[in-house]
Amino acid sequence: MADRAESIDVRRRGGGNALVWRDGLLILAGLLMGLALYLIFLWVPTELNLGVSQRIFYFHVPIGWLGMLSIIVVAIASLLHLATGRERWDSLAYSAAELGVVFATLIIVTGSIWAKPAFGVWWTWDPKLTTTLILWFIYVGYLMIRAYAPKGSQGARYGAVVALIGAIDAPIIYMATIWWERGAHPSNNIPQDLDGRMLLTFLVSLAAFTVLYVYMLMERYSLRRAEAALDEAIRNAA
Amino acid sequence: MLRRSSPALLVGIAVTLALAAVLLVDVSGAHALPTGGEPAAPGQQIAPQEEEREPEANLPFLFAVFIITWAAFFAYLFFTARRQREMQREIEALKAVLAERESNGPAGSGTREE
Repeated sequence: MADRAESIDVRRRGGGNALVWRDGLLILAGLLMGLALYLIFLWVPTELNLGVSQRIFYFHVPIGWLGMLSIIVVAIASLLHLATGRERWDSLAYSAAELGVVFATLIIVTGSIWAKPAFGVWWTWDPKLTTTLILWFIYVGYLMIRAYAPKGSQGARYGAVVALIGAIDAPIIYMATIWWERGAHPSNNIPQDLDGRMLLTFLVSLAAFTVLYVYMLMERYSLRRAEAALDEAIRNAA
Repeated sequence: MLRRSSPALLVGIAVTLALAAVLLVDVSGAHALPTGGEPAAPGQQIAPQEEEREPEANLPFLFAVFIITWAAFFAYLFFTARRQREMQREIEALKAVLAERESNGPAGSGTREE
């Protein structure tokens, strides 16, 4: 039993290669984020029509991409959990869902702030915005089910089913501007005549947020695994 | 353990939204529409407003996005760190219980020996 507690302690500290990887990712994320901020605020040219508010894109689009990616991660991990019954997949799904809430909230908030100068309104029931709001509710629903469903594998299975259904929303969000062309949200395509400096700034920002997301996911996953091991140890000790 | 994480997450979201609301009220006050702040009609929503011609007119919107994004990340990291501290306390308590059991081992669980 004492060995069990020791192993949790070691895992919580994230010893070994995983810790080196995570530290490396954090440093890389910091460097990329510093570079991205320099490019966004000081280097990239200002767009003529929207002015500086167009620079919100360099935050909003990467956050949007990661918000959608999260639900795909949740769904794939949930599917693997259902197929194999391994708890590690459930831990990954839960961690990605928790991060998904953060990113989905930021998509809506940053999009709303951009919409005000661009469209003149904070919010409109555009298909893209509406399906993104649905994604936010899916994430919150998933976490609520995990919080209030019975502990153990049953709650994980309920959550997995919600995640699999929720993942259908991700392609709908992506295709919304194609299927419903009259919406207010701009299309997904990068314009052919986009200034090279704008494209570079966007790509650096996308890389920075993606590395930060991977780091946060690894941290949360590690913590989640330690939480599960600690719960089990407490149950055994009781 | 699951129940512990959700309130922290909801508080984080609430803080982010509250911060957003405060900032946006301020920003919208500084950038009221020429028509008195009425929302644009649906057919006119795509067209940029006149004041957007001034390149730096919307700088507060950009800073609002920057601040809110980082506030949300730091709030999430704060709650993650807090959860780690709680876990550390639980581990210490578990170790203490186990050490106590081991020290009383033969007397507490030793019916089999006899």
